[in-house]
Amino acid sequence: MSDTSPARPSRRTADWHYRPPEAGHWDEALDPSGRPRPHWMRLAAAMRRMGMPEFSRRWEFGQQLIRANGVTYNVYGDPLGSARPWPMDLVPLAIDGHEWTHIERAVIQRATLLNAVLADLYGSHRLVRDGHIPPELVFDNPGFLRACHGIAPTSGVFLQNYAVDIARAPNGTWWVISDRTQAPSGAGYALENRLVSGRTLPAMLDQCRVRPLTDFFEVTIKALLALAPKRPANPRVVVMSAGPNSETYFEHSFFARQWDFPLVGGGDLTVRDGRVFLKTLAGLNPVDVILRRLDDEFCDPLELRGDSLLGVPGLVQAARAGTVFIANALGSGLVETPALMAFLPGLCRHVLGEDMRMPSVATWWCGQEEPRREVLEHLGTLVIKPAFPRFGQHAEFPATMSADNRRALAARIAAHPARFVAQEQVDLSSAPVHTHRGLEARHVVLRVIAAWDGTSYAVLPGGLTRVATGQQSLVVSMQAGGGSKDTWVIGGADDTAYELEPSPAPGFTSSTELSSRMADNLFWLGRYAERLEANARLFRVLLPALSGDAHQGRHASVDTVLHYLRGLDLLPTQSRHATVARQWWNLQRLVADMVFDTRHIASIGGNLRHVRRLSWEVKERLSPDTWRVLQQLSTQLSAAPPTNHDRRFLAALAALDDVVIMLSAFAGLLAENPTRGYGWRFLGLGRRMERALQMIELLRVGVALAPFPDDACLEVLLQIADSSTTYRSRYLAAIRTRYVLELLLADETNPRSVAFQATALLDGVHSLPRRQAEASPPAEYTLAKRLRQLLREANMDDIKRRDANGQRLALEAHLHTVRNGVTDLSEAITARYLSHSASSRLKSF
Amino acid sequence: MRYKATHSTRYRYDAVVSQCQSEVRLTPRALPWQALLESRIQATPEPAAVEAHKDYFGNDVTTFTILESHDRFTIVSTSTVDVEPRPAPPATDTPWEAVRDELAAHTRPETLEAFEYVFDSPFVIAGPELAAYGRKSFPAGRGVLEGIDDLAHRIHSEFTYEPNATSIDTPLLETLKAGRGVCQDFSHVMIGALRSLHLSARYVSGYLRSGADYQGAEASHAWVSVYLPGSGWLDIDPTNDLRPGTGHVTLGWGRDYGDVTPVKGIALGGGHQLVDVDVRVDPIDDAHA
Repeated sequence: MSDTSPARPSRRTADWHYRPPEAGHWDEALDPSGRPRPHWMRLAAAMRRMGMPEFSRRWEFGQQLIRANGVTYNVYGDPLGSARPWPMDLVPLAIDGHEWTHIERAVIQRATLLNAVLADLYGSHRLVRDGHIPPELVFDNPGFLRACHGIAPTSGVFLQNYAVDIARAPNGTWWVISDRTQAPSGAGYALENRLVSGRTLPAMLDQCRVRPLTDFFEVTIKALLALAPKRPANPRVVVMSAGPNSETYFEHSFFARQWDFPLVGGGDLTVRDGRVFLKTLAGLNPVDVILRRLDDEFCDPLELRGDSLLGVPGLVQAARAGTVFIANALGSGLVETPALMAFLPGLCRHVLGEDMRMPSVATWWCGQEEPRREVLEHLGTLVIKPAFPRFGQHAEFPATMSADNRRALAARIAAHPARFVAQEQVDLSSAPVHTHRGLEARHVVLRVIAAWDGTSYAVLPGGLTRVATGQQSLVVSMQAGGGSKDTWVIGGADDTAYELEPSPAPGFTSSTELSSRMADNLFWLGRYAERLEANARLFRVLLPALSGDAHQGRHASVDTVLHYLRGLDLLPTQSRHATVARQWWNLQRLVADMVFDTRHIASIGGNLRHVRRLSWEVKERLSPDTWRVLQQLSTQLSAAPPTNHDRRFLAALAALDDVVIMLSAFAGLLAENPTRGYGWRFLGLGRRMERALQMIELLRVGVALAPFPDDACLEVLLQIADSSTTYRSRYLAAIRTRYVLELLLADETNPRSVAFQATALLDGVHSLPRRQAEASPPAEYTLAKRLRQLLREANMDDIKRRDANGQRLALEAHLHTVRNGVTDLSEAITARYLSHSASSRLKSF
Repeated sequence: MRYKATHSTRYRYDAVVSQCQSEVRLTPRALPWQALLESRIQATPEPAAVEAHKDYFGNDVTTFTILESHDRFTIVSTSTVDVEPRPAPPATDTPWEAVRDELAAHTRPETLEAFEYVFDSPFVIAGPELAAYGRKSFPAGRGVLEGIDDLAHRIHSEFTYEPNATSIDTPLLETLKAGRGVCQDFSHVMIGALRSLHLSARYVSGYLRSGADYQGAEASHAWVSVYLPGSGWLDIDPTNDLRPGTGHVTLGWGRDYGDVTPVKGIALGGGHQLVDVDVRVDPIDDAHA
């Protein structure tokens, strides 16, 4: 976390004194004389009663909740990628209920107006023809998608959901800063913030009579379902996302989970005969509503932006045919155009016959002569923005520019005046945030969220408060490292019950809706988790042997360790034959490094990365506990390993233990999972397959290639396979090759044996969905049966024998055949259920 | 003049395509001087679904969905059209600045509609280089017709017609610098030069009569149309340095190539692809048509 975001509290230095806010700004909590405003009194009193130490303790608990729930946002271009914990300040922003009514009305009015503007711009263009909107704002606007012109969504609802950023001027009035109309984010984060407040400050929420958020979602989701064309009895809704790298992926998966809507990528959907379908394991299921979190132009590579294959080819055609409701309508980003703000007051009077209830920040569009002259004259006091929203083009601040740069900007405006707007600098209000120095003032912007309620718009009573990066900063951006707050609307409504937590979804959601891509991700999650476990168990046995202490925890000789590392192809080539590798301390260094080195194929770190990536992909399919275990697992080794060799060795040992224990928890949760849908089966198939392959490899090195006498290798093999105890209790004998082979290869009752995996694979394959009535058994069934047969038929006495040269070629050959049997099965399953070929663009002439 | 036009596009893939969606603009547009007598578009393999609609610019669009696995995809469009001589351009020329100003004022519905083609479009981004290029043909006070003809003439004489020198993704500035390209590039250069002077220009997709001494026949052709207040849109072909007459068959128009791409599509699978395009526009005897 950067030093600009709310920092870790320290109980000693903290005090309750909220510093007087900067002069010249409105403070949300205190009036100019320094007394709490009336709607803050109850909150301030409750916080005072609680005391700073207790508040800090709860703050810590809140942070844990956020991490445990996997609430994150992604920062573009951040090497850390996903999984930045969502920054939330536990001190809420309180808003007076009566004032909220004003905000609510203004936001409803604005949503209604923008919807009407969209209907016109994607329809008759009357507003342009009659001079209410300059044609440049449409014709020169990259947000105007001509392919979507003429498409009329159900009930004329272009904007199903809408978000608006508002800020408060020094005189206390609210101003609109910007509109979000294509795929507005914030509602999920707002709800998650409320869940954290509800868990950490339940009594305070109750005492302050904070308006609940859940009603809003109930009403608007119901209204969304009613927008499904032809009103099916059970409309199928999907959430369409660009995937785990999207900035607000958490929210996509949160929505999907919360309402049991499948979370899909463009590749999971297909358009046939003007209708959108979800590709599932059981076949194609029609989709009625798409809640899209993908920007306008990426939604259809056929008719919209051609250089991206993210979306669904034919989606525009389906929208045109009116067979699917898309929220928001394709092309609705058009009214995010900052230049439009200059014309909204006139449009509001013309279209709705009323004045704007909340002004937009003063905006001048330079495409008109008089405003342009004004702007160029007062350039130094204004913010200059592109007239049309384009990714990567940001606001410019002439006030802080050199004279040369300011002249250059003026020249750019003069060359393309219609492409620029000027806006007044907004003086943001401030609110208290919790820092290690106590409460401090930070500037805030409030994102208010609205959605269609069936006849008009409903406003989420609260919204997402965003906090500036630093004390004086006016930059409020999650991308730039700002924070967030829960927003408490206090009083003014009857309902005062605080939030009930939504009931957690079952382990796996509606199993037949499983998309092929999701099944593939679950399959590979199973494989990587198992590969990780195999590697962790291997290193856990080999590493202590290299401790240099012959008496403590040493299971194997350095020679045996070397035999395994060589056999499993884990030694770097240069050290393979060097005598230096015979020295335990060199080997120790090598193996400890291998644990951490993410580039190494067998490294724990590298496999953890795969597990982490895949667990994000399947997040909404996992139970909260399973998700938490995977989160904890994947944060292992996230810190840089100690530089000191001894410490690194110890850290590696500790990490291996943790990984094995957490994987056991993961396996335990899966075994206990009540709903065994298809997702669970694919995860299981992945695990079984990988475990079989890993065991075959261990048997090859530990038995087939073992130097004579076998004892040392077999002992280590039993330890890696976690089967020493079983062996001893069953055979009550010294270690014999035949028994080891029986236990680890052929015994269908030992959960570590290859035969056990084969039986489980046959069961798993048996329960996979069949598409149609098939005459002959599918290939994967035949292959799984053959695999089990192969293992049953082998005679342990025959295959364990060494030939005249002391080699176990028969065993090697048998293991080879078994391994091919497993990989053939894997390929058959992939081809049938998991394959999704890549799209390509036809060359055009 | 009556023509039979045949436009075939054949794709061959080195891997199987399991599904393909394509969108074609291959139906000649009905115009005062062009009558469409017959039009048929055939796709192989047999499409599971065919849909037709008009796009934003009024062009006919046909979409195909192919669901059967294939490694070859063929689209053949055949049409019969009558092309008559076009109305003569205005007898008197107007200074180009007057045209520009009338567009900027866009007081009448026609000028407002034409105003849309003054702005940049994805393939044609105006800039100082294009403006400088265009300015040479439009000195102060010159008649707009004279300027248009001069610009087309300059492009024809200063650029080398060279298939395969550019692809459709070659940026316009690069074409301008290299001085090489095909009809699409020349049209884009001309449109960009006109728009940088705030004149209204659109991109026309069509065919040339086969057998005549035209540059760019036997392939899909493109030219430019410029808006003249009072008389409407005037076509000009910079590739052949002439005003289109009965030798040009119009398919449709848009802001640039991207709006009227004759054939585009998305295939699932397929790997590497090879494409053959063949266009024939043969005059047919009216009596036997």
